[in-house]
Amino acid sequence: MHEVPENLSYTKTHEWVKQEGNICIVGITDYAQSQLTDIVYVDLPKVGKKLKKGEVLLTVESVKSAEDVFSPIDGEVVEINKDLEDKPEVLNQKPYESWMAKIKTSGGILSLMKPEEYKKFIGE
Amino acid sequence: MKTELFEEHKKLNAHIVDFHGWDMPLYYTSIITEHNYVRKAAGVFDVSHMGDIIISGKDSIDFLEHILPSNISGMETGTCMYTAFLNHDGNIIDDTIIYRINSNEFLTVPNASTTGKIYEWMMVNSKNYEVKINNVSDKYSCLALQGPLSESISEKLNIKFQKSFTFSGSLDTMIVSGTGYTGEKGIEIIIKNEEVISLWNKILYELKQINGGPCGLGARDTLRMEKGMLLSGQDFDNNRDPVECSISFIMSNKGDYIGKESIEKRNHTEIFRGFIVEDKGIPRHGNLLLDQNGNKIGLITSGTMSPTLGKGIALGFLNKNYGKSGSKVFISIREKNIPATVSRPKLVP
Repeated sequence: MHEVPENLSYTKTHEWVKQEGNICIVGITDYAQSQLTDIVYVDLPKVGKKLKKGEVLLTVESVKSAEDVFSPIDGEVVEINKDLEDKPEVLNQKPYESWMAKIKTSGGILSLMKPEEYKKFIGE
Repeated sequence: MKTELFEEHKKLNAHIVDFHGWDMPLYYTSIITEHNYVRKAAGVFDVSHMGDIIISGKDSIDFLEHILPSNISGMETGTCMYTAFLNHDGNIIDDTIIYRINSNEFLTVPNASTTGKIYEWMMVNSKNYEVKINNVSDKYSCLALQGPLSESISEKLNIKFQKSFTFSGSLDTMIVSGTGYTGEKGIEIIIKNEEVISLWNKILYELKQINGGPCGLGARDTLRMEKGMLLSGQDFDNNRDPVECSISFIMSNKGDYIGKESIEKRNHTEIFRGFIVEDKGIPRHGNLLLDQNGNKIGLITSGTMSPTLGKGIALGFLNKNYGKSGSKVFISIREKNIPATVSRPKLVP
Protein backbone atom coordinates (compact mmCIF):
# COMPACT_ATOMS: atom_id res chain seq x y z
CA MET A 1 0.00 0.00 0.00
CA HIS A 2 1.23 3.45 -0.89
CA GLU A 3 0.82 6.56 1.15
CA VAL A 4 -1.81 9.00 -0.20
CA PRO A 5 -2.15 12.01 2.15
CA GLU A 6 -5.63 13.47 2.63
CA ASN A 7 -4.64 17.12 2.23
CA LEU A 8 -3.34 16.88 -1.36
CA SER A 9 -4.72 16.53 -4.89
CA TYR A 10 -3.38 14.16 -7.51
CA THR A 11 -2.86 13.86 -11.26
CA LYS A 12 -3.12 10.86 -13.58
CA THR A 13 0.63 11.20 -14.18
CA HIS A 14 1.32 10.67 -10.45
CA GLU A 15 2.13 14.18 -9.33
CA TRP A 16 0.80 15.47 -6.03
CA VAL A 17 -0.44 19.04 -5.97
CA LYS A 18 -0.97 21.46 -3.11
CA GLN A 19 -2.74 24.71 -3.86
CA GLU A 20 -1.93 27.76 -1.72
CA GLY A 21 -3.74 30.81 -3.10
CA ASN A 22 -2.46 31.30 -6.65
CA ILE A 23 0.61 29.09 -6.06
CA CYS A 24 0.65 25.39 -6.94
CA ILE A 25 3.26 23.21 -5.21
CA VAL A 26 4.16 20.06 -7.15
CA GLY A 27 5.88 16.82 -6.24
CA ILE A 28 5.64 13.13 -7.12
CA THR A 29 3.60 10.58 -5.23
CA ASP A 30 4.76 7.67 -3.12
CA TYR A 31 3.45 5.37 -5.85
CA ALA A 32 5.52 7.23 -8.49
CA GLN A 33 8.73 7.02 -6.46
CA SER A 34 8.17 3.32 -5.79
CA GLN A 35 7.79 2.66 -9.52
CA LEU A 36 10.87 4.73 -10.37
CA THR A 37 13.02 3.37 -7.48
CA ASP A 38 16.51 4.74 -6.76
CA ILE A 39 16.07 8.32 -7.93
CA VAL A 40 19.52 9.64 -8.76
CA TYR A 41 18.96 12.91 -10.58
CA VAL A 42 16.39 15.67 -10.92
CA ASP A 43 16.70 18.00 -13.89
CA LEU A 44 14.95 21.04 -12.41
CA PRO A 45 13.42 23.81 -14.55
CA LYS A 46 14.64 27.40 -14.46
CA VAL A 47 12.72 29.89 -12.36
CA GLY A 48 10.65 31.94 -14.78
CA LYS A 49 9.87 29.01 -17.08
CA LYS A 50 6.36 29.45 -18.51
CA LEU A 51 4.22 26.38 -18.93
CA LYS A 52 0.86 25.20 -20.15
CA LYS A 53 -0.98 22.54 -18.18
CA GLY A 54 0.22 19.07 -19.16
CA GLU A 55 3.59 20.28 -20.42
CA VAL A 56 6.87 18.84 -19.13
CA LEU A 57 7.85 20.67 -15.96
CA LEU A 58 11.02 18.72 -15.23
CA THR A 59 12.62 15.30 -15.57
CA VAL A 60 13.39 12.88 -12.79
CA GLU A 61 15.81 10.04 -13.37
CA SER A 62 16.29 6.70 -11.70
CA VAL A 63 19.19 4.38 -12.39
CA LYS A 64 17.06 2.73 -15.04
CA SER A 65 15.14 5.48 -16.78
CA ALA A 66 14.18 9.12 -17.17
CA GLU A 67 10.57 10.12 -16.49
CA ASP A 68 8.89 13.46 -17.08
CA VAL A 69 6.95 15.34 -14.42
CA PHE A 70 4.14 17.44 -15.86
CA SER A 71 2.75 20.80 -14.86
CA PRO A 72 -0.84 20.53 -13.61
CA ILE A 73 -1.55 24.18 -14.42
CA ASP A 74 -0.91 27.04 -16.82
CA GLY A 75 1.61 29.29 -15.14
CA GLU A 76 5.17 30.26 -14.37
CA VAL A 77 7.78 28.52 -12.20
CA VAL A 78 8.47 30.85 -9.27
CA GLU A 79 10.58 28.61 -7.04
CA ILE A 80 12.44 25.30 -7.30
CA ASN A 81 13.66 22.96 -4.58
CA LYS A 82 17.41 23.21 -5.14
CA ASP A 83 18.12 20.68 -2.37
CA LEU A 84 17.00 17.96 -4.78
CA GLU A 85 20.06 18.57 -6.95
CA ASP A 86 22.36 17.20 -4.26
CA LYS A 87 19.93 14.87 -2.51
CA PRO A 88 17.57 13.41 -5.11
CA GLU A 89 17.15 10.30 -2.92
CA VAL A 90 14.86 12.24 -0.54
CA LEU A 91 12.21 11.81 -3.24
CA ASN A 92 12.29 8.08 -2.47
CA GLN A 93 12.46 8.57 1.27
CA LYS A 94 9.94 11.39 1.80
CA PRO A 95 8.03 12.02 -1.42
CA TYR A 96 5.44 14.29 0.22
CA GLU A 97 7.97 16.45 2.05
CA SER A 98 10.08 16.82 -1.08
CA TRP A 99 8.34 19.37 -3.23
CA MET A 100 9.90 19.99 -6.62
CA ALA A 101 8.58 23.28 -7.97
CA LYS A 102 6.15 26.07 -7.12
CA ILE A 103 4.15 27.40 -10.04
CA LYS A 104 2.19 30.65 -10.06
CA THR A 105 -1.07 30.02 -11.85
CA SER A 106 -2.32 32.09 -14.73
CA GLY A 107 -5.63 30.31 -15.19
CA GLY A 108 -6.11 26.79 -16.54
CA ILE A 109 -5.78 23.72 -14.40
CA LEU A 110 -5.93 19.98 -15.12
CA SER A 111 -8.74 18.07 -13.51
CA LEU A 112 -7.24 16.73 -10.29
CA MET A 113 -8.16 13.67 -8.28
CA LYS A 114 -9.12 13.57 -4.64
CA PRO A 115 -7.12 11.14 -2.43
CA GLU A 116 -9.86 8.48 -2.61
CA GLU A 117 -9.99 8.71 -6.42
CA TYR A 118 -6.22 8.51 -6.70
CA LYS A 119 -6.13 5.41 -4.47
CA LYS A 120 -8.62 3.77 -6.82
CA PHE A 121 -6.59 4.98 -9.81
CA ILE A 122 -3.47 3.15 -8.57
CA GLY A 123 -5.54 0.10 -7.70
CA GLU A 124 -5.44 0.38 -3.91
CA MET B 1 7.45 -16.81 -20.99
CA LYS B 2 8.50 -17.60 -17.46
CA THR B 3 11.57 -19.26 -15.99
CA GLU B 4 11.30 -22.11 -13.47
CA LEU B 5 12.02 -19.56 -10.73
CA PHE B 6 9.13 -17.20 -11.55
CA GLU B 7 7.11 -18.16 -8.45
CA GLU B 8 10.23 -17.80 -6.28
CA HIS B 9 10.74 -14.28 -7.65
CA LYS B 10 7.16 -13.43 -6.78
CA LYS B 11 7.63 -14.74 -3.24
CA LEU B 12 10.57 -12.34 -2.95
CA ASN B 13 8.33 -9.45 -4.06
CA ALA B 14 10.30 -8.92 -7.24
CA HIS B 15 9.30 -6.09 -9.55
CA ILE B 16 8.67 -8.06 -12.73
CA VAL B 17 9.15 -6.60 -16.21
CA ASP B 18 8.83 -7.94 -19.72
CA PHE B 19 12.28 -8.63 -21.16
CA HIS B 20 12.07 -9.81 -24.79
CA GLY B 21 8.98 -11.84 -23.98
CA TRP B 22 10.23 -13.11 -20.62
CA ASP B 23 8.72 -12.07 -17.29
CA MET B 24 11.90 -11.30 -15.38
CA PRO B 25 12.76 -9.52 -12.11
CA LEU B 26 14.00 -5.97 -12.66
CA TYR B 27 14.88 -5.76 -8.96
CA TYR B 28 13.85 -7.28 -5.62
CA THR B 29 14.85 -4.46 -3.25
CA SER B 30 16.54 -1.75 -5.31
CA ILE B 31 18.93 -1.65 -8.25
CA ILE B 32 21.65 0.17 -6.30
CA THR B 33 21.42 -2.24 -3.33
CA GLU B 34 21.72 -5.23 -5.63
CA HIS B 35 24.53 -3.60 -7.60
CA ASN B 36 26.44 -3.20 -4.34
CA TYR B 37 25.82 -6.83 -3.31
CA VAL B 38 27.84 -7.87 -6.34
CA ARG B 39 30.60 -5.26 -6.04
CA LYS B 40 31.08 -5.72 -2.29
CA ALA B 41 29.83 -9.21 -1.33
CA ALA B 42 27.92 -11.48 -3.71
CA GLY B 43 24.62 -11.79 -5.49
CA VAL B 44 22.73 -14.32 -7.58
CA PHE B 45 20.88 -13.75 -10.85
CA ASP B 46 18.32 -15.96 -12.57
CA VAL B 47 19.56 -15.98 -16.17
CA SER B 48 17.54 -19.00 -17.23
CA HIS B 49 16.03 -16.97 -20.08
CA MET B 50 19.32 -17.31 -21.92
CA GLY B 51 19.58 -20.03 -24.54
CA ASP B 52 21.44 -23.36 -24.58
CA ILE B 53 22.28 -24.89 -27.95
CA ILE B 54 24.41 -28.03 -28.33
CA ILE B 55 26.52 -28.57 -31.45
CA SER B 56 27.85 -32.09 -31.94
CA GLY B 57 28.99 -34.42 -34.71
CA LYS B 58 32.20 -35.10 -36.61
CA ASP B 59 32.25 -31.75 -38.46
CA SER B 60 31.43 -29.60 -35.44
CA ILE B 61 34.82 -27.82 -35.39
CA ASP B 62 34.79 -27.11 -39.14
CA PHE B 63 31.22 -25.89 -38.89
CA LEU B 64 31.91 -23.62 -35.90
CA GLU B 65 35.00 -22.18 -37.60
CA HIS B 66 32.79 -21.42 -40.61
CA ILE B 67 30.16 -19.63 -38.54
CA LEU B 68 32.31 -18.02 -35.78
CA PRO B 69 35.31 -15.63 -36.08
CA SER B 70 37.20 -17.43 -33.31
CA ASN B 71 39.81 -20.18 -33.15
CA ILE B 72 37.61 -23.08 -32.04
CA SER B 73 40.05 -25.91 -32.83
CA GLY B 74 42.53 -24.36 -30.40
CA MET B 75 40.11 -24.59 -27.47
CA GLU B 76 40.90 -27.13 -24.76
CA THR B 77 38.08 -29.35 -23.53
CA GLY B 78 36.75 -27.78 -20.31
CA THR B 79 37.30 -24.22 -21.44
CA CYS B 80 34.90 -21.62 -22.75
CA MET B 81 35.31 -18.52 -24.84
CA TYR B 82 33.58 -15.22 -25.58
CA THR B 83 32.74 -14.90 -29.28
CA ALA B 84 29.99 -13.67 -31.61
CA PHE B 85 27.85 -14.80 -34.51
CA LEU B 86 28.37 -12.55 -37.54
CA ASN B 87 26.18 -12.07 -40.58
CA HIS B 88 27.54 -11.89 -44.14
CA ASP B 89 28.15 -8.15 -43.73
CA GLY B 90 30.41 -8.94 -40.77
CA ASN B 91 27.95 -7.40 -38.32
CA ILE B 92 27.26 -9.05 -34.98
CA ILE B 93 23.95 -10.93 -34.78
CA ASP B 94 24.63 -11.90 -31.18
CA ASP B 95 27.53 -12.35 -28.79
CA THR B 96 27.83 -15.58 -26.86
CA ILE B 97 29.92 -17.91 -24.72
CA ILE B 98 30.93 -21.20 -26.32
CA TYR B 99 31.94 -24.22 -24.23
CA ARG B 100 34.04 -27.14 -25.46
CA ILE B 101 32.42 -30.17 -23.80
CA ASN B 102 34.57 -32.77 -25.56
CA SER B 103 36.44 -33.15 -28.84
CA ASN B 104 33.31 -33.00 -31.00
CA GLU B 105 30.71 -31.45 -28.73
CA PHE B 106 30.14 -27.77 -27.93
CA LEU B 107 27.55 -25.74 -26.07
CA THR B 108 26.68 -22.16 -26.92
CA VAL B 109 24.69 -19.78 -24.74
CA PRO B 110 23.06 -17.06 -26.87
CA ASN B 111 21.04 -14.16 -25.47
CA ALA B 112 17.37 -14.70 -24.68
CA SER B 113 16.14 -12.39 -27.42
CA THR B 114 18.21 -14.05 -30.15
CA THR B 115 18.23 -17.76 -29.28
CA GLY B 116 15.62 -18.60 -31.92
CA LYS B 117 17.40 -16.51 -34.53
CA ILE B 118 20.79 -18.07 -33.73
CA TYR B 119 19.34 -21.58 -33.91
CA GLU B 120 17.87 -20.82 -37.36
CA TRP B 121 21.15 -19.22 -38.47
CA MET B 122 23.08 -22.34 -37.48
CA MET B 123 20.58 -24.63 -39.18
CA VAL B 124 20.74 -22.64 -42.44
CA ASN B 125 24.53 -22.57 -42.47
CA SER B 126 25.17 -26.18 -41.45
CA LYS B 127 23.82 -27.87 -44.59
CA ASN B 128 27.27 -28.90 -45.85
CA TYR B 129 28.45 -30.18 -42.48
CA GLU B 130 27.82 -33.37 -40.58
CA VAL B 131 26.60 -31.79 -37.34
CA LYS B 132 23.66 -32.04 -35.03
CA ILE B 133 22.30 -28.79 -33.62
CA ASN B 134 20.07 -29.20 -30.65
CA ASN B 135 18.25 -26.33 -28.96
CA VAL B 136 17.80 -27.49 -25.35
CA SER B 137 17.01 -24.04 -23.92
CA ASP B 138 13.69 -25.12 -22.41
CA LYS B 139 15.26 -27.98 -20.43
CA TYR B 140 17.91 -26.00 -18.56
CA SER B 141 18.03 -23.13 -16.13
CA CYS B 142 21.03 -20.94 -15.37
CA LEU B 143 22.11 -19.09 -12.23
CA ALA B 144 24.92 -16.53 -12.10
CA LEU B 145 26.61 -16.27 -8.70
CA GLN B 146 28.78 -13.16 -8.83
CA GLY B 147 30.90 -11.06 -6.51
CA PRO B 148 34.10 -11.14 -4.44
CA LEU B 149 32.56 -13.59 -1.95
CA SER B 150 31.12 -15.94 -4.58
CA GLU B 151 33.93 -18.47 -4.13
CA SER B 152 33.33 -18.93 -0.40
CA ILE B 153 29.62 -19.40 -1.08
CA SER B 154 30.17 -22.01 -3.76
CA GLU B 155 32.53 -23.85 -1.39
CA LYS B 156 29.86 -23.92 1.31
CA LEU B 157 27.49 -25.50 -1.21
CA ASN B 158 30.14 -28.02 -2.30
CA ILE B 159 30.24 -26.56 -5.78
CA LYS B 160 33.77 -26.45 -7.15
CA PHE B 161 34.62 -22.85 -8.03
CA GLN B 162 36.00 -22.31 -11.52
CA LYS B 163 38.75 -20.09 -12.82
CA SER B 164 37.86 -17.57 -15.49
CA PHE B 165 36.76 -19.22 -18.76
CA THR B 166 37.07 -22.79 -17.52
CA PHE B 167 34.24 -25.12 -16.57
CA SER B 168 33.54 -28.52 -15.08
CA GLY B 169 30.64 -30.95 -15.17
CA SER B 170 28.26 -31.87 -17.95
CA LEU B 171 24.63 -31.34 -18.87
CA ASP B 172 23.81 -34.69 -17.23
CA THR B 173 24.70 -33.18 -13.85
CA MET B 174 25.37 -29.47 -14.09
CA ILE B 175 27.91 -27.20 -15.76
CA VAL B 176 29.78 -24.72 -13.58
CA SER B 177 31.79 -22.13 -15.47
CA GLY B 178 33.99 -19.20 -14.51
CA THR B 179 31.89 -16.72 -16.45
CA GLY B 180 29.52 -13.83 -15.83
CA TYR B 181 28.37 -10.41 -16.94
CA THR B 182 29.33 -8.23 -13.99
CA GLY B 183 33.11 -7.91 -14.25
CA GLU B 184 33.44 -9.54 -10.82
CA LYS B 185 34.76 -12.92 -9.84
CA GLY B 186 31.98 -15.47 -10.18
CA ILE B 187 30.46 -18.55 -11.72
CA GLU B 188 27.48 -19.47 -13.83
CA ILE B 189 25.67 -22.73 -13.20
CA ILE B 190 23.67 -24.42 -15.95
CA ILE B 191 21.35 -26.92 -14.32
CA LYS B 192 18.27 -28.98 -15.16
CA ASN B 193 14.99 -27.14 -14.62
CA GLU B 194 13.78 -29.61 -12.00
CA GLU B 195 16.83 -28.96 -9.80
CA VAL B 196 17.10 -25.19 -9.99
CA ILE B 197 14.64 -24.13 -7.28
CA SER B 198 16.46 -26.08 -4.60
CA LEU B 199 19.85 -24.67 -5.66
CA TRP B 200 18.46 -21.13 -5.84
CA ASN B 201 17.16 -21.31 -2.29
CA LYS B 202 20.41 -22.78 -0.95
CA ILE B 203 22.35 -19.95 -2.55
CA LEU B 204 19.91 -17.36 -1.16
CA TYR B 205 20.34 -18.78 2.33
CA GLU B 206 24.13 -18.44 2.12
CA LEU B 207 23.95 -14.98 0.59
CA LYS B 208 21.82 -13.76 3.46
CA GLN B 209 24.65 -14.52 5.91
CA ILE B 210 27.08 -12.23 4.07
CA ASN B 211 24.87 -9.25 3.20
CA GLY B 212 24.24 -10.39 -0.32
CA GLY B 213 21.04 -11.46 -2.04
CA PRO B 214 19.12 -11.97 -5.26
CA CYS B 215 19.75 -9.46 -8.05
CA GLY B 216 17.56 -8.45 -10.97
CA LEU B 217 18.12 -7.31 -14.53
CA GLY B 218 18.48 -3.68 -13.41
CA ALA B 219 21.67 -4.37 -11.47
CA ARG B 220 22.85 -6.71 -14.20
CA ASP B 221 22.67 -3.76 -16.60
CA THR B 222 24.46 -1.22 -14.37
CA LEU B 223 27.15 -3.78 -13.48
CA ARG B 224 27.91 -4.66 -17.09
CA MET B 225 27.90 -1.00 -18.16
CA GLU B 226 30.50 -0.05 -15.55
CA LYS B 227 32.72 -2.77 -16.99
CA GLY B 228 32.14 -1.76 -20.61
CA MET B 229 30.46 -5.00 -21.65
CA LEU B 230 28.28 -4.87 -24.76
CA LEU B 231 24.57 -5.62 -24.57
CA SER B 232 23.14 -7.45 -27.57
CA GLY B 233 20.21 -5.61 -29.14
CA GLN B 234 21.09 -2.40 -27.33
CA ASP B 235 24.73 -1.51 -28.08
CA PHE B 236 24.66 -3.43 -31.34
CA ASP B 237 21.74 -4.74 -33.36
CA ASN B 238 22.96 -6.30 -36.62
CA ASN B 239 24.71 -3.01 -37.44
CA ARG B 240 28.21 -3.21 -35.91
CA ASP B 241 31.17 -5.50 -36.50
CA PRO B 242 33.71 -6.74 -33.90
CA VAL B 243 36.30 -4.09 -34.88
CA GLU B 244 33.88 -1.22 -34.23
CA CYS B 245 32.74 -2.93 -31.03
CA SER B 246 36.34 -2.98 -29.75
CA ILE B 247 36.26 -6.77 -29.49
CA SER B 248 38.52 -7.59 -32.45
CA PHE B 249 40.32 -10.04 -30.10
CA ILE B 250 37.53 -12.52 -30.86
CA MET B 251 38.75 -12.66 -34.49
CA SER B 252 41.36 -15.35 -33.78
CA ASN B 253 40.15 -17.67 -36.54
CA LYS B 254 42.79 -17.76 -39.33
CA GLY B 255 40.48 -19.46 -41.83
CA ASP B 256 37.53 -18.14 -43.78
CA TYR B 257 34.42 -17.48 -41.75
CA ILE B 258 31.13 -15.77 -42.44
CA GLY B 259 31.60 -12.01 -42.46
CA LYS B 260 35.41 -12.01 -42.61
CA GLU B 261 35.71 -10.59 -46.10
CA SER B 262 33.24 -7.79 -45.37
CA ILE B 263 35.08 -6.76 -42.22
CA GLU B 264 38.41 -6.66 -44.06
CA LYS B 265 36.96 -4.49 -46.82
CA ARG B 266 35.31 -2.07 -44.48
CA ASN B 267 36.67 1.36 -43.65
CA HIS B 268 36.07 1.64 -39.91
CA THR B 269 35.34 5.19 -38.84
CA GLU B 270 33.77 4.63 -35.42
CA ILE B 271 34.86 2.80 -32.30
CA PHE B 272 33.14 1.61 -29.11
CA ARG B 273 34.12 3.74 -26.13
CA GLY B 274 33.14 4.57 -22.57
CA PHE B 275 32.23 8.04 -21.34
CA ILE B 276 32.28 9.59 -17.90
CA VAL B 277 30.03 12.61 -17.48
CA GLU B 278 31.77 15.59 -15.89
CA ASP B 279 28.62 17.44 -14.85
CA LYS B 280 25.11 16.61 -13.67
CA GLY B 281 23.05 14.56 -16.08
CA ILE B 282 22.62 10.95 -17.07
CA PRO B 283 23.21 9.86 -20.64
CA ARG B 284 20.77 7.43 -22.23
CA HIS B 285 20.53 5.25 -25.35
CA GLY B 286 20.11 7.50 -28.38
CA ASN B 287 21.82 10.66 -27.04
CA LEU B 288 24.18 12.28 -29.57
CA LEU B 289 27.92 12.75 -29.02
CA LEU B 290 29.11 16.19 -30.09
CA ASP B 291 32.44 17.99 -30.46
CA GLN B 292 33.00 21.45 -28.97
CA ASN B 293 31.43 23.06 -32.02
CA GLY B 294 28.29 20.98 -31.74
CA ASN B 295 29.10 18.68 -34.67
CA LYS B 296 27.83 15.11 -34.38
CA ILE B 297 30.72 12.72 -33.69
CA GLY B 298 28.92 9.66 -32.38
CA LEU B 299 26.00 8.07 -30.59
CA ILE B 300 25.37 6.80 -27.05
CA THR B 301 24.00 3.24 -26.95
CA SER B 302 23.86 2.66 -23.15
CA GLY B 303 23.86 5.01 -20.20
CA THR B 304 23.13 5.12 -16.50
CA MET B 305 24.15 6.64 -13.19
CA SER B 306 27.11 4.56 -12.06
CA PRO B 307 26.44 3.40 -8.50
CA THR B 308 30.19 2.87 -8.02
CA LEU B 309 31.40 6.22 -9.40
CA GLY B 310 28.35 8.29 -8.43
CA LYS B 311 28.48 9.87 -11.89
CA GLY B 312 26.67 9.49 -15.17
CA ILE B 313 28.40 6.97 -17.42
CA ALA B 314 27.78 5.83 -20.96
CA LEU B 315 28.90 3.50 -23.71
CA GLY B 316 28.65 4.33 -27.37
CA PHE B 317 30.23 4.64 -30.76
CA LEU B 318 32.52 7.57 -31.43
CA ASN B 319 34.47 8.87 -34.41
CA LYS B 320 37.92 7.26 -34.15
CA ASN B 321 39.65 10.65 -34.22
CA TYR B 322 38.16 11.43 -30.82
CA GLY B 323 38.62 7.94 -29.42
CA LYS B 324 41.71 8.54 -27.29
CA SER B 325 41.16 8.13 -23.54
CA GLY B 326 40.97 11.52 -21.89
CA SER B 327 39.52 13.33 -24.94
CA LYS B 328 36.79 15.82 -24.12
CA VAL B 329 33.43 15.48 -25.85
CA PHE B 330 29.85 16.56 -25.20
CA ILE B 331 26.72 14.48 -24.79
CA SER B 332 23.45 16.07 -25.82
CA ILE B 333 20.94 15.34 -23.06
CA ARG B 334 17.53 17.04 -23.37
CA GLU B 335 18.95 19.96 -25.38
CA LYS B 336 21.83 20.55 -22.96
CA ASN B 337 25.38 19.71 -24.03
CA ILE B 338 26.99 18.01 -21.04
CA PRO B 339 30.80 17.64 -20.99
CA ALA B 340 32.17 14.10 -20.80
CA THR B 341 35.57 12.40 -20.89
CA VAL B 342 36.31 9.54 -23.27
CA SER B 343 37.53 6.34 -21.65
CA ARG B 344 38.14 2.78 -22.69
CA PRO B 345 34.82 0.91 -22.38
CA LYS B 346 35.80 -0.52 -18.97
CA LEU B 347 34.87 2.50 -16.84
CA VAL B 348 35.29 0.96 -13.39
CA PRO B 349 38.61 -0.84 -12.80
